[in-house]
Amino acid sequence: MFKVLAISLNTFKEAVRNKVLYFLLIFAILIIVFSSFISDLSIAAPDRLIKDLGLASIDFFGFLIAVFVGVYLVYNELDKKTIYTIVSKPIDRYQFILGKYFGLLITILVNMVIMSIFLFAVLYWRETFASDKLSNLLYPEVSSGKREAIANLQLHYYWFHVQTFFIAIGKAVATLFGYSEAVTAGLLRVIAFSALGLSIITAFAIFYSTFSTPTLSAVFTSLTFVIGSLSEDIVRYAEKLAEKAGGLAALAGADVLKYNFATWAVQIVPNLAYFDKRAEAIHGPAAMEVPAILGPTLSDPWAVAYGLLYTAGILCLASLIFNRRNFK
Amino acid sequence: MIVIETKRLTKVYTHDFIDVEHGRLRFNFMRKTVALDSLDLEVREGEIFGLLGPNGAGKSTTIKILMGILFPSSGSASIMGKPLGDKSVKASIGFLPENANFYDYLKGEEFLDYYGTLYGLGKAARRKRIDELFELVSLPPHAPNLPLKGYSKGMLQRIGVAQALLNDPQVVVLDEPQSGLDPLGRKEIRDIILKLKENGKTVFFSSHILSDAELICDRVAILNRGKLSTMGDLDTLLSSTIKDWEVIVSGMSAESVAELRPHAIKFLERERDVLFVFDKEEPVRDTLRRVVEQNATLVSLSPRRETLEEYFIREVSKKPAQEAKTDSKSRSAANV
Repeated sequence: MFKVLAISLNTFKEAVRNKVLYFLLIFAILIIVFSSFISDLSIAAPDRLIKDLGLASIDFFGFLIAVFVGVYLVYNELDKKTIYTIVSKPIDRYQFILGKYFGLLITILVNMVIMSIFLFAVLYWRETFASDKLSNLLYPEVSSGKREAIANLQLHYYWFHVQTFFIAIGKAVATLFGYSEAVTAGLLRVIAFSALGLSIITAFAIFYSTFSTPTLSAVFTSLTFVIGSLSEDIVRYAEKLAEKAGGLAALAGADVLKYNFATWAVQIVPNLAYFDKRAEAIHGPAAMEVPAILGPTLSDPWAVAYGLLYTAGILCLASLIFNRRNFK
Repeated sequence: MIVIETKRLTKVYTHDFIDVEHGRLRFNFMRKTVALDSLDLEVREGEIFGLLGPNGAGKSTTIKILMGILFPSSGSASIMGKPLGDKSVKASIGFLPENANFYDYLKGEEFLDYYGTLYGLGKAARRKRIDELFELVSLPPHAPNLPLKGYSKGMLQRIGVAQALLNDPQVVVLDEPQSGLDPLGRKEIRDIILKLKENGKTVFFSSHILSDAELICDRVAILNRGKLSTMGDLDTLLSSTIKDWEVIVSGMSAESVAELRPHAIKFLERERDVLFVFDKEEPVRDTLRRVVEQNATLVSLSPRRETLEEYFIREVSKKPAQEAKTDSKSRSAANV
């Protein structure tokens, strides 16, 4: 156990030295912060746009980290031959795979936490300015219906911004530990599920890199993510195909292949829609139509079980392959 | 007691099906290379064993199989009587790979601490051992806090040796420990190996620096083209082949010198001193007899053993001629 932990920590140390990581993180934060400006263009619900964009960024950039940092982690050990000294130590190879996996997962989680803090902070910041707190502060009511500007107005104006900034950050950090206001209600759950979905993708990144080159692993991992995220749409597409032809039996030619590919791909690849709770949190629990082939949406505990089992299965496969590898 | 034993250990590499060679695609249908061919080795407890051979002889392949980095194609091997991959055995082995590369972002101390954890050492034990090792491999005092990417080649090799000794191993396996080091660095590695032997450890190492191997090895094996060429005691291997005798005499009659001279392969005369080098024993006896008869002085008589390097070159260069035919046959068969 300590050995796996040691490998994880070393993997984390290696990952945080990767410049790609910072590039991705800065880009994600820029998107989250700028979404606040873009949202002013939205007439109906600016906050929804920020949440939508922010949560999508957290998920997507988490995925990008899994791909661009993850696929090199095992490869680097083989390429630099550090694996020689590792396998000669009294550890099992599966412990190495687990260590790499958890190291990458820690990296992704830390980044998700940082991105989340920014998202929450932006929401709290906007919330404060949407209220009339600032105008009340600068133009206090002297008598009923009569307002006058405060002395040192400019100073108070700036001081309020500084205060709001630190309060927003403070609240954002508190939100990670369960604090919530109306504006951030339910978001932590969305991010947690997003992390669970990414833990499967991370396992896939490690799995592919035990037997292929970084480029191929990146392609495979991306395909897995895309197919997994779109699995419900793919099934709908397959059903549409059959519907158009007038029943399954009437499918012909290339459509049969398409139908079979779609239904098979969805069976093999994890259904990441189980972990996408964004729509539910932002727009309320609307009754979404779920294709029959996937069965009913899973309740939270079942979704968690599904995620953990899938991850464990993929890691087992990765270990099996890695166990038999010769390191030239 | 036999510490490392291999029985008919064989490793065959199958090439990738498609390969880019010199910018051209090459299809390798069932193309195979035999890296190691039925190797039988025995390393005994407490000895320094040298695995020698030219480049591509299979030294590293052997070591990688023993360390669980490669799996053998056939044959078997055991370390301390247990099959390869046994974790309890790994816990008492130290290993330094060839041209070892480590995590260059870690500081010297962090690196050893990480590997110490992989050996399952507790925190206090790690701390104590790491301090000892920095001293043993004589790294400069700033080394523990310097990231490995700031290490010189010699320092890297030393910290590589240190990581191999973290667990105070019974068996130490070193792959080309002296490659890339200056003479001083090579001497330090030699001293460390000798110190390990003093402490009762078994050292198994590969090298192509034969002069260094000759100085410290108890026994050697010479590999050539994946096959065992010779294995044995360094003393018996070399003393069984006395190359020549060097005799220096003083005050011998000019007549005798003229008679002996045709038998010598090397001859040198300076004032009263004469130096002969004979490659047979008979003229040596003759010279000694004459020295006694003429009351001349024997300045020195030294039978000169073959050096390991000469022995090695002889062993390695005689084999291909014998095997050339069978070898090319098997290769072309594999190429089909």
